[in-house]
Amino acid sequence: MSKILIMLNVNGRSHEIACEPNTLLLDCLRQDLGLTGSKRACDDSSCGACTVQIDGVPMLSCALLAVSCQGQRITTIEGVAEHGSLSALQKAYSDWGGSQCGYCTPGFMMTVNALLSETPDPTDEQIGAALSSNLCRCTGYVQMIQAIKAAIRAEQQGRAAKRA
Amino acid sequence: MSLPDFQVLRPRTNAEAVELLARHAGDIRIIAGGTDLVPSMRQKLFTPKFVLDIRAIAELNGIRESAAGLSIGAMTTLAAIERHPAIRKNYSVLREATITVASPVIRNMATLGGNICLDTRCLWYNQSLAWRKSCGFCIKKDGNLCHVAPGGTKCWAAFSADTPPALLCLGAQLEILSPQGVRIVPLQDLYSGAGEAPLKLASTDLLAAIHLPAASSGLHGAYKKLRIRGSIDYPLAGVAVTFRNGAGNPTANSIMKDVRVAITAVNPAPLLVREAAKQLEGKPFGEATAELAGELAGELAAKSARPLTTSALTPEYRKEMVRVLAKRALLSLA
Repeated sequence: MSKILIMLNVNGRSHEIACEPNTLLLDCLRQDLGLTGSKRACDDSSCGACTVQIDGVPMLSCALLAVSCQGQRITTIEGVAEHGSLSALQKAYSDWGGSQCGYCTPGFMMTVNALLSETPDPTDEQIGAALSSNLCRCTGYVQMIQAIKAAIRAEQQGRAAKRA
Repeated sequence: MSLPDFQVLRPRTNAEAVELLARHAGDIRIIAGGTDLVPSMRQKLFTPKFVLDIRAIAELNGIRESAAGLSIGAMTTLAAIERHPAIRKNYSVLREATITVASPVIRNMATLGGNICLDTRCLWYNQSLAWRKSCGFCIKKDGNLCHVAPGGTKCWAAFSADTPPALLCLGAQLEILSPQGVRIVPLQDLYSGAGEAPLKLASTDLLAAIHLPAASSGLHGAYKKLRIRGSIDYPLAGVAVTFRNGAGNPTANSIMKDVRVAITAVNPAPLLVREAAKQLEGKPFGEATAELAGELAGELAAKSARPLTTSALTPEYRKEMVRVLAKRALLSLA
């Protein structure tokens, strides 16, 4: 299949990419741009490991065609660090054991990051509803909820989330 | 698994989309949110030469209120529907069904048009090409035998979308564009009842909008769904119920009017249970009588359900759960 030229805006930078028209956004990010944070797992568009944000809205990059995402802002896990250091949420996930094997973590980060942008102080129910988009087979989710709450507290107090 | 080869066409207007569909008729699939079509294409269930991406058509997106009711563009995402104040207030059964679809992230992508046009599902169909090749092809794709039905001559893949039963209760009408012009079709006329070809849509048709009549505004309604996990899963059974009464909220002595009961995920099409609507019409509904109404609705809804082993859980259990869910739906409104 002959390649086509597309323009994608990923993490604030424009990229001109030659790819086949049937390329999934996930494969384009991983293979053409070397952004391997977004993961392929279930292969039937259910697990959320490939979650990225399109114009700030979390979506599954394994169910999007790369060519369809032209003209939109794409944010991946590589784009959430703040000024070169980990975001409060990333630090809290590490401190509280919100990430174990880590394979699902980038997807969770993109989902939770969008939740906190829209709802800076979510209820337990809202956190639970947001986490229901992604599958984790290690943590049992409890540590993630603790990490998210710690990150919110840290943001409110303007400091890094530390385990008490 | 990678996708089969295809060209992507990205029209900007409905007229352009209809023109492209006509030009490539029979060799083109429409992609909206992609959450149903992309996994199916990966499994080589569809191998079209062209994919028509309608995400960039602005006129297909958005919810418009008018005196006639509510008009929802086919590309409106399920997330936008669950957040819309007029739907929350006046068409609550649609919101209740929408928030059970898949997961919040999938609802950010999935569209109402896509949910209505969802392909039917079966354990023997929604599998990779390698799986289907080794276990046996079926009527729905590449074969001529049904592995789940007695006799095996008819496809019983289950229609597994959540919003259509709610929309059937609301009397939704579809606006369909084709080279012949615009036509308005009641939602129940979209479904053929045949598992292998569930939609009565030509390959030149474009579903443009879903109209909810003003007459259905303010109906009491509930949707209940059976699934294994609390998120992500397709329904294994689903029941929507709506009715109206004269006295605002259901009270001890209210009378049920305009009753509708619809089921999904247990047949090759979503169905209105007309007998339940008929028998419940005019019945009293309140704390003391809801139980009785629920029993009746459940019994008749379960009678219309013909689940086979097309998904997880046994057909007997899913049929029984149709009865239970119909009752629970009514009790939740008492």
